[in-house]
Amino acid sequence: MTSERAPSGQRVFWRSLETKEHPGQPRELGSDVVKQSIDGPGLLRLRRRQFLSLSGAISALAGISCIRRPVEKIMPYSEMPEDVTVGVPSHYASVLTRRGEAIGVVVQSSEGRPTKVEGNADHPASGGGTDLQAQAALLDLYDSERARTPTLKGTAKAGGDLDAALAELAGQLAGSGGAGLHILSEPSLSPTFLRLRTALAAKLPQAVFRTYAPLNDANERAGARLAFGRPLLAQPRWAAAEVIVALDSDFLMTETGSVEAARGFASGRHMASASARAPNRLYVVEPALSVTGANADHRLSLPAQSIASYARALAAALAAHGISLGSALGAALGRAELAGVPTAWIEAVAQDLAAHRGASLLIAGSRQPAAVHALVHALNAALGNLGKTVAPVSPLDAEQPDPFADIAALVRDMAAGSVQTLVILGGNPVLDAPADVQFKEALARVPLSICLSGHRHETGELCTWHVPQAHALESWADQVSRAGTYSVQQPLIAPLFKGRTDALMLAALGADTERDPHLLVKTTAASFGAVDEPSWQRLLQRGVGTSEATRSATGLSLQEAAIAAAIRALPEPAPPRNDALEVVFLADNKLVDGRHANNAWLQELPDPITRITWDNAALIAPSTAQALGVASGDLIRLTLQGASGSPQPRSIEIVAWVQPGQAQGSIGLPLGWGRKRAGKHALGAGFDVYPLRTSQAPHFALGVKLTRLGVRYPLSQTQEHDLMEGRPLALDATLESYRAQPRFGQTSSPDPAASPLWKTRDYSQGPQWGMAIDLNRCVGCNACVIACQAENNIPVVGKEQIARGRTMAWLRIDRYYVGEDADQPEVAFQPVSCQHCEQAPCENVCPVNGTSHSPEGLNDIAYNRCIGTRYCMNNCPYKVRRFNFLNYNLDIPETQKLVYNPDVTLRFRGVVEKCTYCVQRIERSKIAAQREGRALKDGDVRSACQQACPAEAIHFGDLLDERSAVAQARRVDREYALLAEVGTHPRTRFLGKIRNPNPELKG
Amino acid sequence: MTADHPISEIGEAPLLPAHITPARVSEQVTSVTERPARLGWWLYFGSSLLLFGVLGASVSYLFWEGIGVWGNNSPVAWAWDITNFVWWIGIGHAGTLISAILFLFRQRWRTSINRFAEAMTLFAVICALLFPLIHVGRPWHIYYTLPIPNQMGVWPNFKSPLLWDVFAVGTYFTVSLLFWYVGLLPDLATARDRARSLFRKRVYGFAALGWRGSHRHWRHYERAYLILAALSTPLVLSVHSVVSFDFATSVIPGWHTTIFPPYFVAGAVFSGFAMVMTLMLIARQVFDLEELITLQHLELMNKILLVTGSMVGFAYATEFFVAMSSDNPYERYAFINRATGPYWWAYCIMVTCNVLSPQLFWFRRLRTSVPVMFAVSILVNVGMWFERFVIIVTSLHRDYLPSAWGYFRPTLVDIGCFVGSLGLFFTLFALFLRWVPQVAMFEVKAILPGAQPGHRPQHPDEPRPAPSAVPQPGRQHPEHGDLPAEAVLEPKEA
Repeated sequence: MTSERAPSGQRVFWRSLETKEHPGQPRELGSDVVKQSIDGPGLLRLRRRQFLSLSGAISALAGISCIRRPVEKIMPYSEMPEDVTVGVPSHYASVLTRRGEAIGVVVQSSEGRPTKVEGNADHPASGGGTDLQAQAALLDLYDSERARTPTLKGTAKAGGDLDAALAELAGQLAGSGGAGLHILSEPSLSPTFLRLRTALAAKLPQAVFRTYAPLNDANERAGARLAFGRPLLAQPRWAAAEVIVALDSDFLMTETGSVEAARGFASGRHMASASARAPNRLYVVEPALSVTGANADHRLSLPAQSIASYARALAAALAAHGISLGSALGAALGRAELAGVPTAWIEAVAQDLAAHRGASLLIAGSRQPAAVHALVHALNAALGNLGKTVAPVSPLDAEQPDPFADIAALVRDMAAGSVQTLVILGGNPVLDAPADVQFKEALARVPLSICLSGHRHETGELCTWHVPQAHALESWADQVSRAGTYSVQQPLIAPLFKGRTDALMLAALGADTERDPHLLVKTTAASFGAVDEPSWQRLLQRGVGTSEATRSATGLSLQEAAIAAAIRALPEPAPPRNDALEVVFLADNKLVDGRHANNAWLQELPDPITRITWDNAALIAPSTAQALGVASGDLIRLTLQGASGSPQPRSIEIVAWVQPGQAQGSIGLPLGWGRKRAGKHALGAGFDVYPLRTSQAPHFALGVKLTRLGVRYPLSQTQEHDLMEGRPLALDATLESYRAQPRFGQTSSPDPAASPLWKTRDYSQGPQWGMAIDLNRCVGCNACVIACQAENNIPVVGKEQIARGRTMAWLRIDRYYVGEDADQPEVAFQPVSCQHCEQAPCENVCPVNGTSHSPEGLNDIAYNRCIGTRYCMNNCPYKVRRFNFLNYNLDIPETQKLVYNPDVTLRFRGVVEKCTYCVQRIERSKIAAQREGRALKDGDVRSACQQACPAEAIHFGDLLDERSAVAQARRVDREYALLAEVGTHPRTRFLGKIRNPNPELKG
Repeated sequence: MTADHPISEIGEAPLLPAHITPARVSEQVTSVTERPARLGWWLYFGSSLLLFGVLGASVSYLFWEGIGVWGNNSPVAWAWDITNFVWWIGIGHAGTLISAILFLFRQRWRTSINRFAEAMTLFAVICALLFPLIHVGRPWHIYYTLPIPNQMGVWPNFKSPLLWDVFAVGTYFTVSLLFWYVGLLPDLATARDRARSLFRKRVYGFAALGWRGSHRHWRHYERAYLILAALSTPLVLSVHSVVSFDFATSVIPGWHTTIFPPYFVAGAVFSGFAMVMTLMLIARQVFDLEELITLQHLELMNKILLVTGSMVGFAYATEFFVAMSSDNPYERYAFINRATGPYWWAYCIMVTCNVLSPQLFWFRRLRTSVPVMFAVSILVNVGMWFERFVIIVTSLHRDYLPSAWGYFRPTLVDIGCFVGSLGLFFTLFALFLRWVPQVAMFEVKAILPGAQPGHRPQHPDEPRPAPSAVPQPGRQHPEHGDLPAEAVLEPKEA
């Protein structure tokens, strides 16, 4: 205290009380801190103890950080909307279009956002079912990569700028009568669009209207024009047909009206018991194995160019059975034989058709030339099928020109510089216009181009203006089905990105003064019976109009001479050689023509036939591949030689896939892949085959040379093994053997007599849920798989994870090849999801009781309890359990999160998941029944897969209810349990498939 | 059994050369912990630590991203993770077997190697326990497997073989730890008594739990050791039987096999002995323990390898025979697929290493050649890993529905976790070698010539040990004064 006091009188300098008291003594506590702050970087001057404590703290903190479970926020309504009950979804009728067909749908809306698409049972083109694209439409809607604002030369603009530009343009056009204006649109089913187009054409007489879509019904219309003198569409009545001959027609999957076809075809196949009426018989002649071909009782793979010759030979053979086409036509047919095709395939089919006059059906695919369609019309007429199994209907837009000619004409105008303004309403011609017309090059010569499309895609980015197009689920429109049912497409949500409709664009160009798409549609609806508000409301509610927009064509007379001339004009087929192969352009089973390319659900869905995900491939027959030395996964170059009018050979590079069932010498090329300018899911997926497609040969081309590039390309499949290895899995029987032994299912896979390992549960109290899947009805379209994905928030994992064997699909459709000949396989489809075993092997192995049985017979998983030992996956004989190997719900764009079903938990990484029999639907129905004070009745609960199935192959319900559909289905003699010998007692049962081969046509 | 012929049960030759004295034993063994470590140890420890670091990195990445960083998939939901688990558990068998069963059967030649084997057991079980812990999808909920009372009344599923595993492996680890530690006490006391620094005295003194070597201590010790040996013995059989239930109670072809429990136990003993052999040969070389671990010990172990290897081969053959003569197409396919399917190479490695390579030991010259036995022991380790891989992966990758068949490819993280677990094992072993008396000194002393007082005359070839070196209870030790720890362990006659 007293030491070293400053001498009195001297000034004392101090900076703290301590130093003042003890000026000589260095400050003990905190002196370092002071020093450090003065002397600079302190870390170097740390004392040992400080260093230790700091490093201890650092390492302790390092251990703390960890991936957090996502923070969940609940945002309540501050003001409750009147018509919304949180947790109770509402449903609205609407309509979606698919390649020339309008499918009526009922869309579920959860708190104002559409969360599930179902078929509208009142709509004839749906009948309650949907196709897989309709199921996936939600993800198209919530695609975060859709264009968000109008852009002018790549610069984002406000909607007002666009409106001003359009108003200015409309003013100029009104002055010039539309000179220099060309409008390119897709074939439309919308009366409002057609009405506005007519109005615009009247207002701007000089404007030119063009129509183009890469997949269209031009051949069908032209064929009917040949046969009957006017453009008609064949509207088959599938259920009435007992013998069906499909000539290159994939009517169950990619052709127009596949949902209705699947329903009708499946009902024609139905067998309630062995003694029931025989199912229909399907003959398919096609170049590439399609879903329809997979359902055939007899399938002949033939190059696409030879199909016409087969049709001629068949027609000639029918003449021998008294089915005469008249002398003029008969003379054009030639002989009833075809090189390389067994005579039985002509004779026996002809005999079968002749034996089923009025109950048979021939159908030609849209790839086949008009002459084949005309000949098919003539044959159907001669067989007495017209009006019975097939009814030609007049299309809504009867004046629609041939799109391939139309786009060629447009490009000629563009190249000539006569196109001042090009308005593209939908479509993507830069990608999908025939390669030889060179749309892209011509587009550069157009001073002002306006493109309306959902994405700023290949065409959109080259146009002056790009305008975001509203998705069908967020905009008003109307659509007429092929058979003539009028429906209003009512929006479920306000346009997410302020998108516009094509009708609105026409109106903006001067077709109408109305700018409200709702009123534009309402005006049109008046001519379809919705004359007043109540009828308009009824139309919206029911989703189906009252009057037919198109009608069945009557008073048809065959123009034999024209057909004969067309047949004679058909080129003689040149058998494909290994140095001059045929390529066939296929509508893709998932992406159609490429418009769904950025849909991750569809990308990840394995192709129904090849089981490839995230890619397309050049499909080559095994024998051809062997001859050419090509293996699956080899990169190849396909060069189209000698394309007339083009000195440059066209070529593409693509991965090869050896596909059983492909016609020898013919290569199948699925369209719509290998996008150059698209969202992140579409980019890098597959190979673009449009560069080989020319306007002369848009469907199949000859003289293609294949070169191996010596490079491998990785493909991801969800199913790598194609054969059943002689195991009784997807059981089938011929009609003959079924009748001899109706219970063939049980004998192939007997139940073990061994008593169960653990105490059995009491399943006598209802409801006891069960499922029955009729393999005889299932066509293998995969709509159920996407429905399951949409309903149950199943994540997408990507190509790399699929390659590692980590698909998350709860429901899969196994595809097996049957038979000896790799070039002519039979196909068996089998939808497999959790079988809800009563003696579930997965349950007793879980160490934490994470999966256990509910009193209603469901095999449940408590995600919160699951620790992810994956033992249940191992012990599941059906391999239906899926594990979240990584956090697959990470980095989902906010927009896309709107797609989630609020009734189904999102699963974090590390837990196992699988089919729940849509337990959320069961509970919702139970609550509804309880509120109404009644018991559950059959049909109250429909699983997502069941509801989506267009073929009504899936039954679900209470097994204890004797009259329920599922209980009845399980009493059918074909019923069997998959892998019954394991003793699992599955709740899902299968009904064996019945094949109905023609005894005359062996092998 | 007499004092001069303590090894008469297994041969006429003495177990240890005559010039070994108790003091020499103490010096040789304890000095390892007292001297500064040799360069060899540092190299070994350093590289082990590096591998251990690989484990740390791999597991951190695994926890961060999820099981997806491994190659596991559907249908192969278990792959290297459980392969490693079963492999390590198998290795962990030899220790208890050597210590407990050989102890109960009075196979006194075990004394030179039992400490090794026990330590190896412990470390192997630690490595084994690691894998079930990290292989679950949500390791932070691993405690759900423990029967902890909770207000929701949710219990583990007692039907699940995985839960049986938790108990079986947990029990085995606990008992092995106790057995090892109890056996260590007298030697820890020796280390304490020899300690020259206060720190060493404190640490070893604490670890020795106050062992003074009094008669009462010895009496309790012997009782405890005997009880623990008796407890461990059934565990040797039960642990791997229970592990085999993971597979045997499932419905998967190739797993659902009644032969599994004995087959797994034989395999476990086989692999455990091989691992003891590998480690012992290294330690013998590095620490100059040739005098304590003699060629005779090694030859005896090789005979066991030959026996168990042949048993394992017999099990392989039986499995095939049963599958082929059954009428179960799935079962039959599973076994044909093992040998001829995509994983045929794994099957070939398994058979070559496990069945063929031990057959060399039919020849005495090969059986006594250190390089040969080292090579074979490594091969057996490899082969036994592949056995588990074959059982787990090839059964899973192609089971009932061909549509769900797949193929498993390991990732770098798979390899990192496996190699890293070797790192953990060798790190623990390095620490053990450095700080713990690695040979059971007091037991070795008990089999020295003359250690067991008796009436029979001295063997003519053996020089009589200096009286001061013969440990007697309570006697003054010439060097260290009163050293009760060197008291004779006198096993009771049966």
